[in-house]
Amino acid sequence: MNHTFIIARRVLTQLKGDRRFLALSIIGPLIIVYFLKLLFNTFPPMIDVKSYTMPFTAFIVHFLSFILCAILLVQERINGTLERMMIGGFSKTSIIGGYTLGYFGLATIQAITVLAESIWLFKLSYDTKTVVLLFIVIWLLAIVSVMLGIFISTFAKHEAHVFPFIPLIILPSVFLTGLIIKPDGLPLWAQIIGKCLPIHYAVNIIHEIIKPTYTITDTLLDYGILTGYIFALLVLASLTLKETE
Amino acid sequence: MNAIEIVKLTKYYGKICALNKMSLDVPEGTIYGLVGPNGAGKTTLIKALVGSLQPDSGYAKVLDLDPLKDKWKLRQQIGYMPQSPALYDDLSARNNILFFGKGQHVPDLQKKVDEILSFAELTKRANDAVRTFSGGMKKRVSLCCALIHNPKIIFLDEPTAAVDPHLKMQSWILFRKLAQKGVTIFVSTHQMDEAMLCDQVTILRNGEILAVDTPQNILKLGKTNVKIITNNEEKVSVIDSTPQSLADELKKYGLEKNISSVELHSDTIEDIILSIVQEKEKGNKS
Ligand SMILES: Nc1ncnc2c1ncn2[C@@H]1O[C@H](COP(=O)(O)OP(=O)(O)OP(=O)(O)O)[C@@H](O)[C@H]1O
Ligand SMILES: [Mg+2]
Repeated sequence: MNHTFIIARRVLTQLKGDRRFLALSIIGPLIIVYFLKLLFNTFPPMIDVKSYTMPFTAFIVHFLSFILCAILLVQERINGTLERMMIGGFSKTSIIGGYTLGYFGLATIQAITVLAESIWLFKLSYDTKTVVLLFIVIWLLAIVSVMLGIFISTFAKHEAHVFPFIPLIILPSVFLTGLIIKPDGLPLWAQIIGKCLPIHYAVNIIHEIIKPTYTITDTLLDYGILTGYIFALLVLASLTLKETE
Repeated sequence: MNAIEIVKLTKYYGKICALNKMSLDVPEGTIYGLVGPNGAGKTTLIKALVGSLQPDSGYAKVLDLDPLKDKWKLRQQIGYMPQSPALYDDLSARNNILFFGKGQHVPDLQKKVDEILSFAELTKRANDAVRTFSGGMKKRVSLCCALIHNPKIIFLDEPTAAVDPHLKMQSWILFRKLAQKGVTIFVSTHQMDEAMLCDQVTILRNGEILAVDTPQNILKLGKTNVKIITNNEEKVSVIDSTPQSLADELKKYGLEKNISSVELHSDTIEDIILSIVQEKEKGNKS
């Protein structure tokens, strides 16, 4: 456990030392949300863009945290620091745990800033309880994304290996999970794929939260599944993270 | 006792044989040198011994432990310096060393870090990001990271490539001190002057051992050309590289019969540059 904190602290010190990366990973999502606003402005008024805003905001955080974390861990492999850490006495679980904990902070900042921008830009009038719940979903999803990035990075020997996973995970997330269209009309197999993707549950929760009749018990199961993803990915990643060539 | 025992260790990368049924014993407290051309298998062998590579067949024992099965016991006792610097560019030299030190539960870590930074002559730059360091300075930080927890065996993959002659000598003085305390040092190098400082040298090529011997014995296999010019007439003879053979050869030209050994020592270009630098530094200090 101690090792987990040591790694988390190192990751944070590193992030602090790399200002450009820090700026990109916080300003990047903000710019994309702005583009989203421009896009939604072109839609005819009978489409209720407000119900799409939050799911898309969540998706942007999901996508960016996933890529950034995957690439940074792959870089550790290329630099040889991953090998050095393992031979230096750090266990696989403490490495994965440390990375997740280290990105916790970044994910939190991302979730807060993006949520604030969306609410302001789209003039959404949610009450405090809704905003807090939205934050919790986006934040949980961000942690799942970090874990997913760690898991995917265990299959990559260099950065280029990460790129094929982008369409593989991200495109189904856009089309099969209820982000744009309700998945009910899709063929069964496509619905099943959609249900395997974590963003499906986040989108479900968001759609419920923004309904005025929402009570938290409606989505307890989805919250549970989202949390389950964190633990499942932790176990998976520690199985696939290789110590030897 | 043997610190390292290697038996028929084999590793293939596809069709390339990086280690070919290699067997080798390394006694405790020795400085063991690994030389050989690029691609000989030096790095592969070191990786197999520190437990970051799964061999295809054969086995290795380090301190009587299996590098893969007993990894937790072993990792506390070995130091490893990879061929590439393997540092965090965005962290300072101090934070890099601290981080790897914390992985190993070093008592009095802060003090130890200060000591080792001063040994590596990096105290002034200790808080700068490693990104801003020269290649040789990065190597020095990397060496510090490998030594910080007082390991019993140290695996060094070309530790002094790109390091300047002065600090290279300092490093070797430290290696010798450590070896006297019983630490085993397993070091690969391309520099023959370093090979001369080892207790034993193994020559590798294509994953096979060509020779194992003391550097002095290996040197004896060499020949010396003696060129004598008298009245514009040149005479060249090839003799064994020993002081005795040189004396015998010179006797043909009237060297006194009772002189049994002639040895010549010229400064190498490295020695000369080093002494110029040291002169200058002395001048600057006073
Ligand atoms: N990851 C790898 N994948 C494929 N082949 C590899 C890999 N690592 C090493 N090899 C091959 O194994 C052989 C031995 O390589 P190794 O790195 O051990 O050489 P070396 O003696 O350390 O060379 P150098 O002096 O250049 O560091 C080489 O032929 C190399 O091409
Ligand atoms: Mg090598």
